[in-house]
Amino acid sequence: MATHPHAGARSRTLLPDLWVVLLSVLLLGPVLSPGFVLTYDMVWVPDLALTRDALGVGSALPRAVPSDAVVAVLDEVVPGALLQKVVLLGCLLGAGTGVARLARPSVVVRLVTASVYLWNPFVVERLTMGHWPVLVGYAVAPWVVLALRSWRRDGRLPLRLLWLLPLGSLSASTGVVLAVLAVVLALVLRVRRAAYVVVVVVLANAPWLASGLLHVGVATSDAGGAAQFALHDEGAVPGPLAALTLGGIWNAEVVPDARTGALGWLALVVLVGLAALGVAGLRRHLGGRAAAGLAACAVLGWAVAVLSWAAPGAVGWLAATVPGGGLVRDTTRLLALTAPVLALLVGEGAGRLVQVLPRPARPGAGVVVALLPIALLPGVAWGAGGRLVPTDYPPDHAVAREAVRDAVASRQDGDAVLLPFSSYRQPAWNGDRKVLDPTGRYLGIDVVADDALSVDGVELPGEDPRAARVGRALEEADPRGRAIALREEGVGLVVVERGAGAAPVVTGRVVHHGPELQVLALGPVTPAPPPRGWWAVMAVAWAAYVVVGLGGAVAGLVQTWRRRRARVDA
Amino acid sequence: MVGSSLVTTVVSVLAGGAVAAVSVVGLVSSQTSPPAKSPVDVTAPVAIDYGSNT
Repeated sequence: MATHPHAGARSRTLLPDLWVVLLSVLLLGPVLSPGFVLTYDMVWVPDLALTRDALGVGSALPRAVPSDAVVAVLDEVVPGALLQKVVLLGCLLGAGTGVARLARPSVVVRLVTASVYLWNPFVVERLTMGHWPVLVGYAVAPWVVLALRSWRRDGRLPLRLLWLLPLGSLSASTGVVLAVLAVVLALVLRVRRAAYVVVVVVLANAPWLASGLLHVGVATSDAGGAAQFALHDEGAVPGPLAALTLGGIWNAEVVPDARTGALGWLALVVLVGLAALGVAGLRRHLGGRAAAGLAACAVLGWAVAVLSWAAPGAVGWLAATVPGGGLVRDTTRLLALTAPVLALLVGEGAGRLVQVLPRPARPGAGVVVALLPIALLPGVAWGAGGRLVPTDYPPDHAVAREAVRDAVASRQDGDAVLLPFSSYRQPAWNGDRKVLDPTGRYLGIDVVADDALSVDGVELPGEDPRAARVGRALEEADPRGRAIALREEGVGLVVVERGAGAAPVVTGRVVHHGPELQVLALGPVTPAPPPRGWWAVMAVAWAAYVVVGLGGAVAGLVQTWRRRRARVDA
Repeated sequence: MVGSSLVTTVVSVLAGGAVAAVSVVGLVSSQTSPPAKSPVDVTAPVAIDYGSNT
């Protein structure tokens, strides 16, 4: 029976896409059921507010800029819980389908490439850590490479780059990853008017760049934190080797068990072996320049991670001396630069291995190699091995939010402080899972939060000077003295999270007393607004971000519509 | 030639079976094993570790 020529091409895309859907659903599992997944830094609430911190004009470093503001706008249209699922599933689908399209058009190569890019410690650990903006950037990365290759081919700036870069740059670290990838590839591929890439990269990262510059005086971090956040060994596998297969995150709590035993070594041998087999094939498929550019990015990401392992003191000095140097403190985030090349090489190597087998054995062998990444990292399916479970906020949170709104409406000025004054919680209603305190975001008010961290019992001081002053205010001898000191800091509301541990007593009018939260109004305060110039700077930065992102999306849609119309007319 | 092709087919089927079995066993054990840590003590100190290096 004759096969239609397009049928083969279609199956080379359709089968890997279906495989990506299957892997994504298998990886997320219960995450897709109703409720909010709250894990480490992943905090989603029903309706996030556009607070000063979200806009980058708060006193804290812009760690959630622009991600919080983007979510705050989007959840006006899509409920927060649903939006979280759309984002997480979209990350995995986008990552898998993108990297598959970057691979050689062979079903086996694309299946294996997608498997490696999705089913690896980087994805599982960042999911568990709640670093969803990192995963958005990870998903966008292959599409950026595809866009740059089409630019090289057509000689025209692909409009999709204008919205891909802002979408992928939802946090500083992922903005840096995509900036490196885009600039290096544009230079190596010698695209026409490569300077445009730099302009788009700057505009796409404008919000956190501008806010970071406004906070330059406090943008240095504690040098001691570098050792805690450096690349770490995984069991007996040394950090630099673990990083070759995208492992080595600093937090041992989120490392899958399989990575610390014999399977960690087996994964290293198998994946690196297949990658070595794929070098020539990938070079042929992508072309020498693109392959070299991607390889340079991969080596850079790996080398920075290894630097933190070998010389944490140097990274600590950078974080403590150069404003913004703390960006590279959690260096394994930069392995997002290594991942595309690893996945593509392993896919090519697996394809080559299958190709040398007799024809009847190839389908079976293809299934084996596509399943290999899953077999090498078992136990992470269904919500990262059961770590990611949706939950519901206690009903008391909604009541407290109304009470806070009423207090603000009745002219209670000032920001809020959450007690106990510490950054992380392990609420019973979240299954005792750790999470960055979600109460401030839930209540929808500006909050002065403690940004100090504790890792392995080692205290790492925060950077926010206002948080430090509030901490000192809470050390006053008596409840009345604390209230006065807090008011002088522009704090008008105190939210006590009952059951989160011992908290200092503060004198105030109780406006809500529920089973979970108690809200106190402190009376007249002098608000501490950001300098007027800050608003102006951030307005320009946000305008640049929105214009390039939305403008690119609209222009891209119009271009696609015109092309389709021209095809129909022809 | 036919013999070697038959052998590779059988080997690849066996390898595929083994890989699939490992995947399924890993998945099932991850879903049925007890939690690595006990629930939190309500009297624990307020400063919760963000993470651990060991």
